[in-house]
Amino acid sequence: MTAGIVKPVTESEDLHDPAYLKIRDVIYQISGIYQPEEKFYLLASRCARRMEAVKAKTPADYLEHLTVRGNREAELRLLLNEITIGETYMFRSAPQLEALRNVILPQILKAKSAMGFKRLHLWSAGCSTGEEPYTLAMFLLEESDKMLAGWTFDIMATDLNDRSLTAAKAGIYGEYALRSTNELLRKKYFRPYDDKQLQATDQLKSLIRFDRVNLNDDSKMTFLKGMDLIFCCNVLIYFDLSSKRKVMQHFFSNLLTGGYLFMGHAESLYQVDDRFHLVHFPGAIGYWKPAVGYAAGGKP
Amino acid sequence: MNRKNIEKVRPRIEALESMPAIQAIVQPLVSMLREPTDQVDMEKLVELVSYDGTIAAHCLRMANSPLFGRRNSETVRSAVMALGLKRVEAILLSCSLNNLVPPDKWVLDAVTFWRHSLGCALVSRKMAKLIGYPDPEKAYLAGLLHDVGILVNTLACPEDFRKCIEAAREGHVALDRSEEEHLGFTHCQSGKMLAEHWHFSADVIDVIEFHHDGASPVGAPLVALVHLSDLLCRLRDLGYGYYEAMGVDLAGDAAWATLVQHYPALDKIDLARLTMDIDGSMEEIVALVDAVFKP
Repeated sequence: MTAGIVKPVTESEDLHDPAYLKIRDVIYQISGIYQPEEKFYLLASRCARRMEAVKAKTPADYLEHLTVRGNREAELRLLLNEITIGETYMFRSAPQLEALRNVILPQILKAKSAMGFKRLHLWSAGCSTGEEPYTLAMFLLEESDKMLAGWTFDIMATDLNDRSLTAAKAGIYGEYALRSTNELLRKKYFRPYDDKQLQATDQLKSLIRFDRVNLNDDSKMTFLKGMDLIFCCNVLIYFDLSSKRKVMQHFFSNLLTGGYLFMGHAESLYQVDDRFHLVHFPGAIGYWKPAVGYAAGGKP
Repeated sequence: MNRKNIEKVRPRIEALESMPAIQAIVQPLVSMLREPTDQVDMEKLVELVSYDGTIAAHCLRMANSPLFGRRNSETVRSAVMALGLKRVEAILLSCSLNNLVPPDKWVLDAVTFWRHSLGCALVSRKMAKLIGYPDPEKAYLAGLLHDVGILVNTLACPEDFRKCIEAAREGHVALDRSEEEHLGFTHCQSGKMLAEHWHFSADVIDVIEFHHDGASPVGAPLVALVHLSDLLCRLRDLGYGYYEAMGVDLAGDAAWATLVQHYPALDKIDLARLTMDIDGSMEEIVALVDAVFKP
């Protein structure tokens, strides 16, 4: 995925146009992607590109394309692409990794050690071109002589799109994907590919098992068990409500008790699932599969 | 709590009486805060706001912020009319409290403190509205004042308080835990002492004393509301300016159970959306606090 260049919204474009509120609500209701009003300048610039493409003159005209026109589903998908474009790069969510390091992994390691287990299973569900699983692989390797000393770990990375999977397996990335990856990690886990790109080392690749999985495929989903952490970022936004609910049921049983699911930073599971507990970490939200017999007490 | 330690704080609180601004603004303001809106004398409030030119300017800046509906008020009087008396009282109080601490004497810096306090006030009010709590402005005021004990600790025992913050930052732990360990009392107890001395209303005093105790039966439901808002702020970069290593299942918190008993709508709240709304307000909270409270 390439960088999204956000077209600036000019003064004349009115961010207070009530149609933007309605567009936001339609997007939220159908996809689960939420945008606070203070960030409507972003929404407006993303809509502006689609409005140009469909020749809609005003936000209200465009709202019609999303709600009453025959091709509204396709249009919403194209708008969602605009909204999430540019979100795919490594180390995109520092707060999520900090939560893993400071809160979640210590908790999971303690619980698993007590049962004599020393292995972690992570799953990047909808891994696209691989930025997320490679980030997780680097994160785990960096912890391997600290918190994870004596532990083994693997990452399953799945996607529906064969082209994305081929790119992910190749592990070749340019500056955009590596914009938040520091020099040290680049040197340690990548080698030069050409004058503009780097390729993941075999050590990094060896941690990740890439596979084609359709999250809607019940027969396959049922057999994916024993996960500690699932990452599913900006994937379910394209699913309808009943499919979302079905995937969430699978995720719940794919996870071990005490495991966590992470979604995209603007995604919400409101009214999609009520079995996971929403847990706040500094700057990040995770969905927790509660331990059996968990009672109110505030801290997982 | 170590009673001997906290008694050292009392003389410092009593010494505040001699500050001209306390007599001129804070004392009349606190008695005004206890009155119902329809009994507040607007002329008197305008006079209080206008007492200090800097405070008046800061009040206007806050009144004109998008966080409060962006009114473009040019005079104190029009700001008071546009915002409502209760809102202006809260704004004036935060500006006056800020002046208690000389600019070079802050331990937890002024900007961090006010981002957290204003953030907690706004989140408390927002949650109050979402769940149908009947007095959102009271929730706002309680959120704004819940950490007033931090100002007391800053004035009364700056060196020890500095150690608390450093230890909390180092260990990624909650400030009240660090205070308990290094001071023998927390900002909840020192804040209560100031609030009682100044005759804050009883419900606000309860919030100040118990906001870290989610299981507190005292002061329900306002204490529970501010407890949850305080946690949310600390989890969304509106905390004490350091990393608190915590994972919080808010809906599993004892305060949630207390609040939901009074306001069942809480269980229907879209927590992810509320969180994203808080993130959305962040830029303006930061801009406003920088403009008004940056020394």
